[in-house]
Amino acid sequence: MATPLFQVPLIAEGRFIGLILDILIFALVLYYTSGDKKIYIRRVAGLDAIEEAVGRAAEMGKPVVASYGLGGFTYWTLAGLSILSHVAGLSAKTGTRLIVPTGGSTSSLIVRPVAEEIVKTAYTMEGVPDQYNPDDLPFLSGQQYAYVGGYVGILQRTRPASVIMTGSHWSDAMNIAETSNAVGAITITSGAYISNVAALACASDYILIGEEAPAAGAYLSDDPSQRASIRVQDIFKWIALGCIILGLVLSNMGINIVENLLST
Amino acid sequence: MSDNSLMKTLATYDRRWVYLVLFLVVVGPLLQPIGMPISVSPDTEQYYEAISSVEEGDKILFTLNTEFSGYNEIQSGIVATMRVFIEHNTKICVAVGHPEATGIPELVFKQLEEELDANGYVYGEDYVILGYVMPNEASVASMSQDFQGAITQDWLGRSIDDTFLSEINTWEDWDLIADFTTGLATTFLLNHFALRGTPMTVNCIGVMIASQKPYVDSGVYLAILQSMRGGAELEFLTGHPGPGLTAMDAFTFGHYMLLLFILAGNLGYYGYTKQQRGGR
Amino acid sequence: MAEILKNRQLQIAVMALAFLLVFVPYFIEVPALEAASTKLITITAIVNAVTLVLALQSQIRRGLNIVQRRQTGWYFKAYMIITMVLMVVFAFFGRETGPYHWVMYAIVNPLSSVNYGILAFYMASTAARAFRARNTQAMLLLTTGFIVLLYQAPLTGAYAPWLEPIALYFGDTFGMAAGRMFLISVTVGAIVFGVRVLMGKETSVLGVGKEEV
Repeated sequence: MATPLFQVPLIAEGRFIGLILDILIFALVLYYTSGDKKIYIRRVAGLDAIEEAVGRAAEMGKPVVASYGLGGFTYWTLAGLSILSHVAGLSAKTGTRLIVPTGGSTSSLIVRPVAEEIVKTAYTMEGVPDQYNPDDLPFLSGQQYAYVGGYVGILQRTRPASVIMTGSHWSDAMNIAETSNAVGAITITSGAYISNVAALACASDYILIGEEAPAAGAYLSDDPSQRASIRVQDIFKWIALGCIILGLVLSNMGINIVENLLST
Repeated sequence: MSDNSLMKTLATYDRRWVYLVLFLVVVGPLLQPIGMPISVSPDTEQYYEAISSVEEGDKILFTLNTEFSGYNEIQSGIVATMRVFIEHNTKICVAVGHPEATGIPELVFKQLEEELDANGYVYGEDYVILGYVMPNEASVASMSQDFQGAITQDWLGRSIDDTFLSEINTWEDWDLIADFTTGLATTFLLNHFALRGTPMTVNCIGVMIASQKPYVDSGVYLAILQSMRGGAELEFLTGHPGPGLTAMDAFTFGHYMLLLFILAGNLGYYGYTKQQRGGR
Repeated sequence: MAEILKNRQLQIAVMALAFLLVFVPYFIEVPALEAASTKLITITAIVNAVTLVLALQSQIRRGLNIVQRRQTGWYFKAYMIITMVLMVVFAFFGRETGPYHWVMYAIVNPLSSVNYGILAFYMASTAARAFRARNTQAMLLLTTGFIVLLYQAPLTGAYAPWLEPIALYFGDTFGMAAGRMFLISVTVGAIVFGVRVLMGKETSVLGVGKEEV
């Protein structure tokens, strides 16, 4: 059982290190978003798969179906929207029909207008605003399984060449990925939850695991704050890794200082 | 290059054969149970120990964070756990985290009518159903910090003032949270109850096990009951066979069928597909 | 008034104040702050509950719009509006017995369950299709998966108890490590995202205005 190393006056027991880490996150985000810092993010390999998928659809004359996830404005949804923007730009450039099924939860109603604007803007930027069809962004349902039914129906009827399913998808992901495979489409997904990753890794042709999707979103959007997020998260992952290794070595020597420090 | 038709069949069979065979091997044992033996895993034993350690009068928040679909998977765990709580004469407050789950408490209590009568359970004194009170994190946080401010009525609109819930104010007043989840408000309960020290157990669906086990390992949860199999094991431990144990035959056959298909696919891959690709 | 409320800086200031009111009492034990924080959280819960009513109104309005214009699939929207209104009526006047229960058990339960049940078929066909020992890593994965799947079948656990420690080892080491990795990533990502929202870097969270597109 971990014992806090010390007690700081006024601070609740066991929460001091949490407070320090939170303040550190604030400071790092402020630092990396201030000024004109160029934060390097390597190109995620999944982006090549996305471009290949849209190219395949253009060659075959079939549509692309892309979705940005269920849920409200979360970390994963924003990543999905960034990737959607990229896919919309590619579709507009190649003259490929893009279908974006929306819905899946009550909070998806808030995200939908943003998705509409993103797709519309992408077509406008490519100089083909007349190709934007609002009927290709159907709102299927605010309920997950009704959304799945509609999504699967779209896949069965339109027989797309590619299905790009990023953002946070829940148990609908498996249904969609397998149907996509059944209709012969290239399937690119992102596994935001560990519950999904194993199944999607089997069902998809390509999967962006964990933070590859937000990293891809940050790379594509070139938004300094998104890039700053990825950098700060990387720093914290290194801190976590350091704590794990140090804690492992020390605890095997009978010294529980890392555990006790983290419980302070 | 030989064109072995058996290997070709194994490599290229239509997926609908998988659906058909799976349907048959699952439905058959459900219609005609065989009663194959099962083993009890250490996790279920730990869970049984955790829920059996409750004492008479303990206040338990029984949360159903599942739709009807998930209920069909974890109902054995829900009913078996509720039975243990009733037999220990605890005070049970049922709250749900999805609109569909408002119909579930009644289904559960209907299956436990005998136990409720045998232990003299009276609605309001011994158990209360709050209904859909956990739509989001703010509601759960509010329940945790100011229960009387957040909850004033049960799901039928009757005041909770004359029930045992009048003694609940914050997370400290609960003796146990028993969560049954497909992943809805569980994280909120974790953040606002378990991490503040309220003992918590979880019965989750199969795909969630990997994400929930770290919390058991780190001591945040007392124990975890794993999906339908865990529910069946709990029914076995409590000595009350139910839908979980009934389904275990189908569960077993389904798993073996899947393994056979994987083997068949690999045989087909090595016997046909790899040769077609020139050994690559 | 509407223009004042739409002011982006005001929105961020209110957000930051609400954040501090909840964040600070978690770390610093000041009873007055804790009481204020609790009240704010309770108010938030009530406001969130009201948004359900807003969602209902929004869905009905949108559905009526589609039905009036006879857009594609208008009959589905009409069906949705009728069932929505009916369920509200049933919930008010027949919650303990009667049509509300019938709809829940005879319609919602099977409809919800069938979608979930289909997942099992899809997972089975995916596993049968995708688990191929194409290389060494895939062979290792297949072997591990095979052992764990075999152990998960209850009959195996009864007759081959020697498999249990092996299968549990895989879950308690590799599986646990993957689970923890996701937990750390997701948690830090969520905190960083929250900081970005508080700093006003995520304008889409506050709603997209035409001038910002």
